[in-house]
Amino acid sequence: MSEFWYAQPAYENRRLGQVNSTPIPDFVQNFKLGEKDFINAGKASAQIKIALKQLGVDHVYLRRAAIASYEAEINITAHSRGGRITSKYFPDRVHIVFDDDGPGMGDIEKSISPGYSTADEQVREMGFGAGMGLPNIIKNCDILHIISEEGVKTFLEVIIYFG
Amino acid sequence: MNSKRKKYFHAIKLIEEKCTGCTKCVRVCPTEALRVRNGKVQLDATRCIDCGKCVVACPFGAIQTYADHISSIDKFKYKLAIISTSFAGQFPANIGYKTAKKTLLKIGFDEVAEESMVTVKMSSIIREYLDKHKNIRPIISSNCPSIVRLIQLRFPSLLPNILHLEAPMSMLSVYFRKKICKEQNLKEDEIGIFLIVPCVSQVTAVHQPEGTYKNLEDGAISIQEIYCRIMTELTENDYDENDEDIEIYPKGLSWAISGMEAEEVNDGRLKTMAVSGVDNAIKILAKIENQQIENLDYIVMNSCTNGCVGGVLNIENSFIATSRIRSLVRNANEQEFNDQYFEDMYQQGKFNVPPLDPRPIMTLDDDIKIALSKMKKINAILKQLPGLDCSACGSPTCKSLAEDIVMGNAKIGDCVVLLRKEIQDKANRGKK
Repeated sequence: MSEFWYAQPAYENRRLGQVNSTPIPDFVQNFKLGEKDFINAGKASAQIKIALKQLGVDHVYLRRAAIASYEAEINITAHSRGGRITSKYFPDRVHIVFDDDGPGMGDIEKSISPGYSTADEQVREMGFGAGMGLPNIIKNCDILHIISEEGVKTFLEVIIYFG
Repeated sequence: MNSKRKKYFHAIKLIEEKCTGCTKCVRVCPTEALRVRNGKVQLDATRCIDCGKCVVACPFGAIQTYADHISSIDKFKYKLAIISTSFAGQFPANIGYKTAKKTLLKIGFDEVAEESMVTVKMSSIIREYLDKHKNIRPIISSNCPSIVRLIQLRFPSLLPNILHLEAPMSMLSVYFRKKICKEQNLKEDEIGIFLIVPCVSQVTAVHQPEGTYKNLEDGAISIQEIYCRIMTELTENDYDENDEDIEIYPKGLSWAISGMEAEEVNDGRLKTMAVSGVDNAIKILAKIENQQIENLDYIVMNSCTNGCVGGVLNIENSFIATSRIRSLVRNANEQEFNDQYFEDMYQQGKFNVPPLDPRPIMTLDDDIKIALSKMKKINAILKQLPGLDCSACGSPTCKSLAEDIVMGNAKIGDCVVLLRKEIQDKANRGKK
C-alpha cells in the first residue's frame, strides 16, 4: 500500500485536520462509474459542476473543481474496474472522493509525473491516456490525497476551496 | 438579487389567448426560461437568450416574434438598410441578388449596405485579434447574440474568451453613421440605420445591446417582412442583374452558413471549429469550460442550426438557402470593400467592446449556506417526484419543478403523476 499527499502551500497546515476528521457536509452527491464506460464518462463531473454553479461558486474555483473532477472521473473509467464518486459540499469548499475497485497504482510518485501513462490501446484510441490526468488534478486542487493498494484499489480525494 | 435585476427586452411576444398550455415550448427551451402556470405560458426574461426555438415549437401561434415595422423608417431623413448575409439565400432563382438588393431602394431606403461587405475583412481582423490575445484560448466568435447571452447566463467563466469586437453589422452601423453625416451633411439622429435580420436575437441585440456602449442601430426589420415587400414591389423592369450602379459583395455572404466563418478565419496554421444549434453549443461550451478541447484557437457558434440561414425570421428553408448562398459565393468576383475611413476607425479602436458582465441564472441564493440548504431541499423533493420529465406540471423537468418549488414558484401538488397516485390511494382506502 502506498500513500501520497499534496497540498498547495497555503493549505499545507489544514490538510490533515480537515480531511481526516470527517465533518458532516451540507450536501452530498453520489455517483457510480462503470469499467471503460466512456459513453457515460464525464456525466458525474458535469453534475458536480452544475451543483457548484447553483451554489454560486465563483467561476475560478468552479473551473478548478470541474477540471479536477473530470480528470479523476476519466481515470476511473479508463484505468479501473469501475468505482464511485462522492462529492461533499461545504460553505467554503467541495471535497470529492473517488474510490475504485482496482487494480490500483504501483508507484504513485511515478503516476503523478507528467506524461507517465499505463493506458492501454483502447483508451489511447479514445484520445485519453496522455499521462496528464493526475498532473492536471494536482494543478487544479488545493489538497490531494491518494491511497493505493496495488492489485486491489485506489482511493483519491481532492479538496477545492472557494477562495 | 431581485432588486438588482433590470428589465430585459425580448423579441418574443406571448399571445395568451392562443396558448393552450401544451408545454411544447417549455420542453425545447435550452435555458429553461418558460413555464406553464395556470394553463398559460410564462417567460422568465432573465433566462431567455432569444434563440427562437419556442417560436418554432409552438403549434398554436401563441409565441410570436417581434421586429420593427417597415414604417418605422419614415421618421428619418436618410434611411440606410444593412442586410444580413442570409438575406441572399431567400429568393428563388429568377430573382437575382442584385435585383433583390435594388428593390430595397424602391421600398423607401436611400442606401443599402451589406453585412458581407466586411466579413472578408473581418476574417483578417479576427486573425490579428487571435495574434494579440495568445494567452486566451479558444476565442469565441461574438457574431451570434444568442450565444453571447448563453455564455453570460450559463458559462460566465468563458466571458473573457469572447471576441471583444463589434459584429460586422454593428461595425457597419458605426462606420456608415459617421460617413453619411459627413457626406450628406446630416445630424446623427437624422439618419435611420436599420438591420434586415434573420432571427429574434438580432432584434433583441438592436434594442438591448450587450457590451456595446450605446444602441448603434435604430431598428431591426425581419427578412420575412422585407421579402414580402420586395415581392409586392418587384416589376418586370426591375429584373436587371447587370445594373452597374448596384454593387454586391457575394464573396462575404459565406458568414450566413455555419462552418464558413471558421474556415475563412483559418489561414492553415490555426485550429478552428464551427458549432451550430443551441443544444450543441451548450455541450461544446461545457467541454471548453472543462478544458476538454485541446489547442483550439477560434470557435464559431451559431444558436441556429446551419447558421444564420436557420434563423426564425427567414423565409426559406435553411438547407435551400445554404445551397443558394454557396453558389453565390462560388461564382463571386473578388469585389473588395477597401475603405480607408473604415480601416482608420478599426485602427482607432472604434469597434472594440468593453468586457461583458456575467448574468448568472443558475445560482440558488447569493448566500452559499442558504444555497446549500435549498439544494438539499431540492434533492429531497426530487426523490419524491416520478422522474418522468413529462412537463405536465408546467416545468420542463422533475428537477426544474423541484427547483421551482424550493424557489417558491410552484408546489408539489402541481405534479400530475403524484396527484393521480394520491387520488387512487384515496379511492382504494375508500373501498376497504
